[in-house]
Amino acid sequence: MKNSIRIFTLAAVIIMQLFTVVMAQEEETNEKPKERPARPAFESGLLFDNATTTLQPSKTLEMIIQHRFGSIENGITDLYGIWAPSNIRLGLNYSILDNLMVGIGTTKFNKMQDIQIKYNLLQQTRSNKIPVTVSVYEVIGIDGSADSKFGVNYKFTNRFSYFTQVIVSRRFNEKISLQIAPSFTHYNSTDSLVDHDRIALSFAGRFKFSPQSSLIISGDFPLQIQGISEIREEINETLEHPKPNICIGLEVATSTHAFHIYLGSSQGILPQENILYNQNDFFKGNIILGLNVTRLWNF
Amino acid sequence: MKNSVKLLTLLIAALAFVTINTAMTQKEGEPWVIPAKYKSMKSTIKAGDPSINSTGKELYNQHCRSCHGTKGLGDGPKARNLKTSTGDFSSKAFQDQADGEIYYQSFVGRDEMPNFEKKIADEGDRWAVVYYIRTMKK
Repeated sequence: MKNSIRIFTLAAVIIMQLFTVVMAQEEETNEKPKERPARPAFESGLLFDNATTTLQPSKTLEMIIQHRFGSIENGITDLYGIWAPSNIRLGLNYSILDNLMVGIGTTKFNKMQDIQIKYNLLQQTRSNKIPVTVSVYEVIGIDGSADSKFGVNYKFTNRFSYFTQVIVSRRFNEKISLQIAPSFTHYNSTDSLVDHDRIALSFAGRFKFSPQSSLIISGDFPLQIQGISEIREEINETLEHPKPNICIGLEVATSTHAFHIYLGSSQGILPQENILYNQNDFFKGNIILGLNVTRLWNF
Repeated sequence: MKNSVKLLTLLIAALAFVTINTAMTQKEGEPWVIPAKYKSMKSTIKAGDPSINSTGKELYNQHCRSCHGTKGLGDGPKARNLKTSTGDFSSKAFQDQADGEIYYQSFVGRDEMPNFEKKIADEGDRWAVVYYIRTMKK
């Protein structure tokens, strides 16, 4: 009996000791300094036509005006594209959560309507425990052109196009941020010699040279992958495939605005248009002047 | 020629009148009522932290400069459109306040002074701005 009491007491002491160790470890864990998220890699959620991993805080409304003039190649005849037909998009984004944004927009060319959603999966931390910010971004476009554009077997779903992207960005320091973003574009309806699907790779970068101003650059590179093409290789070799959309410009960001003035190649604004249909070649002088303005309201 | 001079004089007088009148109608702000928890608030970064002259300066220039001016003198381009004077960050009266009092005024705000808690979400970044404002002392 005495032995039993001794064993029981010993066991109780051991359990208490273990419990104390576990508690102490938990306290240590609690005392660890909280991971601080890195400051956003880009000032705005928009960089030219591209999305960035930057999301505004919850309950923030963002108004977006995107404007593309015509190509500068006709020179003074149309004042370097300023008098040429221009493309415009008006958009509204709303941050439901700190890491979830939804948006709607309307674009002049093809009367495109769009619904957007962006979700931050990972946030870069200052300790570099998480070295990058990762977002997923989806744009659903609805073409508002006349029914006849979609051929004889018209269905409403022919108007839909989808752009799905994973965006990975890193803020390297106060001045330099870079981003890489693979994407998949799908159109429900295209012309007979245009693929429905295309994979692309986008790059973006920023060099901040003053507290409010940055040099910004981006490139969207549509990839020609025969494995996902519906068109035979010998025909594909004869076709003009989409050209990269290259943009370079200046960003000025204030407390509530971001302003971009830049030179780019694609006149489309929605990313799926740029990936599948851009035929402007930046390096052959098919350059357009573009302007973006964003305005934020916090609630 | 005489008419042009008269017109120019009139324009300058009108501009001066509007500018002076606007400046004169701007009132001093009422004394701030600052909750006790902010008065005794302690910074999460140390004085002299490198982020003060990088992050603090950058955020000040992005969010504060347009009203408070580059040196905190209250002479930013937007200041003249406000009903209330933005004050002078270089003054002894301002700098004699506790860190937490400057923190409250800067980020919680009131009336024309907006709340910046969402725009500058990180606590350490806020303190970098407070300490950057401290460097404006004359």
